[in-house]
Amino acid sequence: MLPIVSLTLFLPLLGAIVIMCHRNAAAEKVHKIGIITSALTLLGALWMWARGVADAGMTDKGFSQVEQIDWMPSIGAAYRVGVDGISLPLVLLTALLFLLTFVYSGKVRKQPQAFVVLMLMLETAAIGTFTALDAILFYVFFEVSLVSMYFMIAGWGHEDRQRAALMFFIYTLLGSLPLLLAILGLYLGGETYTFDMRVWIENPPLEGGAAMLALIAMLFTFAVKTPVFPFHTWLPAAHVQAPAAGSVILAGVMLKFGTYGLVRFALQMTPGAFREAGVVVLIFGVVAALYGAFAALAQTDLKRLIAYTSVNHMGYVVVGVAIAALTLDPEIRAIALDGSVLQMVSHGLVTGALFFLVGMLQDRAQTRELDQFGGLLKTVPLLGWSFMLAAFASLGLPGLAHFPAEFQIFLATLREAPWAMIVILGIVITAGLYLKAISQVFLGVPNEKWKTMPDLDRRELLTMGPLLILIIVLGIAPSWVLDVVHQTTTTLAF
Amino acid sequence: MANDLALMLPEIIVLLTAVAALVAEMLRQPRIAFYAAITGLALATVLTIPLLGENATAFSKTFRIDTLSVWAKLVLLPATILSLLLVRAELGGSAREGTAYVLIIMITLASLIMTGAGDTMLLVLGILLAGLGSFALVAYPRTDAATEAAMKYFVFASVTAGVMIFGLTYWFGGTGSTLLSELVVLEKSPALAAIGFIAVIIGLGYKAALVPFHFWAPDAYEGAPVSIAAYLSVIPKIGAIFALAQVVRDLPVESGWQWIIAVVAVLTMTYGYLAALGQQNVVRLLAYSSVAQAGYFLLGVIAVGSSPLAFEALIVFSAAYAAMNLGAFAIVMQTGRTLDAFKGMGYQKPLAGVAMVVFLISLAGIPPLAGFVGKFLLFGAAMQTGFTWLVVIAIINSVLSLAVYLRIVVPMYQQTEHQHPGDVAITHTETIPLVKPVWLAGLFFTLFIGLAAQVLLGNIV
Repeated sequence: MLPIVSLTLFLPLLGAIVIMCHRNAAAEKVHKIGIITSALTLLGALWMWARGVADAGMTDKGFSQVEQIDWMPSIGAAYRVGVDGISLPLVLLTALLFLLTFVYSGKVRKQPQAFVVLMLMLETAAIGTFTALDAILFYVFFEVSLVSMYFMIAGWGHEDRQRAALMFFIYTLLGSLPLLLAILGLYLGGETYTFDMRVWIENPPLEGGAAMLALIAMLFTFAVKTPVFPFHTWLPAAHVQAPAAGSVILAGVMLKFGTYGLVRFALQMTPGAFREAGVVVLIFGVVAALYGAFAALAQTDLKRLIAYTSVNHMGYVVVGVAIAALTLDPEIRAIALDGSVLQMVSHGLVTGALFFLVGMLQDRAQTRELDQFGGLLKTVPLLGWSFMLAAFASLGLPGLAHFPAEFQIFLATLREAPWAMIVILGIVITAGLYLKAISQVFLGVPNEKWKTMPDLDRRELLTMGPLLILIIVLGIAPSWVLDVVHQTTTTLAF
Repeated sequence: MANDLALMLPEIIVLLTAVAALVAEMLRQPRIAFYAAITGLALATVLTIPLLGENATAFSKTFRIDTLSVWAKLVLLPATILSLLLVRAELGGSAREGTAYVLIIMITLASLIMTGAGDTMLLVLGILLAGLGSFALVAYPRTDAATEAAMKYFVFASVTAGVMIFGLTYWFGGTGSTLLSELVVLEKSPALAAIGFIAVIIGLGYKAALVPFHFWAPDAYEGAPVSIAAYLSVIPKIGAIFALAQVVRDLPVESGWQWIIAVVAVLTMTYGYLAALGQQNVVRLLAYSSVAQAGYFLLGVIAVGSSPLAFEALIVFSAAYAAMNLGAFAIVMQTGRTLDAFKGMGYQKPLAGVAMVVFLISLAGIPPLAGFVGKFLLFGAAMQTGFTWLVVIAIINSVLSLAVYLRIVVPMYQQTEHQHPGDVAITHTETIPLVKPVWLAGLFFTLFIGLAAQVLLGNIV
């Protein structure tokens, strides 16, 4: 049996090493290696998808395609990777977004080698975070992604990049260290000393006060990463200063580390404590969703606006996970988690598309201020219509990617905690703010300044095409993803 | 007796190496002194390997051949070899080059004696011997700064050693013996045990640069040649920490020694990084950083006797610390002592730049590097002992440490187009031979320990 998970995981790293060995390669060649490597990685992810999560022969404590070898047997740490219905869609999303990012970044001329190497390292770290089944391995990938992203923002960001990168790094490191504490607590609390996440999920090692402390530490970590109000302050700064490619990965992939961790660690390893604290988490989720929407409403910078809508969308995911923790009914739990996982995937596609489009707009206009534009739909129709489609998806229009996800989250919320339905206000506000942004940028009187603005070129169309198609496909027929997710969410019992 | 000598073979070889180097220096053959030193230390390292797994004492229980002291040799001897390469690169050709090698080997020997000390007198011997060598090394350049630093170092050492010997008399009075293993009888008189322990932590704390006994360190490192600072920040420090671990092994918990160490650990970590935040001189910054790192070591010392992870944590972190700290100092040697010298360095010397980033983020404890594995084990050991609050403080300090280390990383990747090309060329283009192998070795071990810590862990019994 081919170790497809490990191959997919380390292919990008291999590509990075190949580039490092060719110190004097031309920029085109370097970008080509990046594209080829990430395309092969996507193939690997598709192969994993084809194998699925239900293959009885490979299933092991709820996970399938498990591959493991000894790493530090003295302390019970091993290299263990595998997937289930929650992580597999995220792996596929990650591989796709990275490939598109490489296609889009083909024009980067500033230190192209370092750029591609960092991106490839980031890809391995991201896939590793989603597939790791050993807590130490998870933490390693989780942190490596921080380092890569720090250099990405500091090296290729916009005007105030140094400060934003520093803030991002220190803030998220502060955020991730409590997780280390929780991991150590789970390790020392178990009957046998092991870092095997499957063992922790099957038999939660902590209970009572210790479990609650571990949960608080984990919630802090993942709240910073997601980010949940009031721990979100690093996000707008990092997003606005990051290069477009960095923003796409940051929003499309790295924010999911937070919500994925919320499910994988907090919900699965300390279910009892999470149930007790569920209402608090639910309130945080509701506040985050509403706050994100209101804050986005007040923005004049297009990139900052989209960054805040991420806070809003990830807030819905937190609501979904909190509902899953609170409910005693397995059916509601499955609905809530299905919605949450699908929301992560949709958000990756939609926000990825929006950040790409803002990046393309900024390449042309060198500004992101809403009031600088006007009537762009006539000058650049392809860019305009793409933006409209992505924006409509983002505000939750039926038939587009976010709708089935948010619908399921709201459905579960209505059945479990009806008062939390106030979160639906967020949809109304996002609808308003996107309509305002669209009318300011793409409708109205064309601004003379942008008369010669070129429309999307071939490379940009290649980037946007797959995303827009998937946004529609996922909106109309979400079942091909939901079926995979559902296989896992129905088996969870706590 | 013969068996005792066999067990002490590595130490004896180190002593003979020092003598050989001294003879060569007296014959005005510093090159031979250098090669003799390297060969002798390498031989001693190889001869240590058969001792792995040994658990014995020599010379009527005064010297311990156990996990800690054997691994101390395996870490400190290679680290001394790397330091010697740096010293040769910096001081090679100067008038008294050979004496530096001799002194360094003597300090390493003193550190080895401390790490295996089973008797308070051996402990005192180790501290004094290491101290004498260190003053001379710091004063080596004969500049005002170096002389002042050596003077401070000397005065501080004399006072702390005096206090320590005075405090040790209480232990002698209580147990009737100078053996550390006899300390268990102090179970009934915790106050007596505590007084002696405070004295010990003053004596060893000065050697390991623990706050509040660290005042000499930044001045000494800044006044001394960079290579000497690199050496002093690694070898005697690890020696003193391991010695502390030997002391607490038989000390009754009732004396509250864990809490004394916990307080010192908090002060050391926090003060070290806060002070480092304000430094403009990279050597001083690294000096304060090494003060703070000593605080992390103490987390492992606290766990001695209560957590099986304690020795593993101390040993892995000491190897990691030696690799990353020597590596970082080696890069400083070839780049320059000021933060300005690092401006744009990452673009001009890509490999050295990457290496420096690796050393610094490893010092901050970011995976998958050596510093992470070490700190992770230290945290686990302290938590198992019940000092979770201390781990929380250590974790908060890790965030602070990142801010400290990024102060060097940020200028490394700043664009320098506006500068005159000539300005930069002077500081960055010269590469001193012997320095590059050192940081390459440091880089290798920082990655290797991070990814394959099992090689160490599997042999710590």
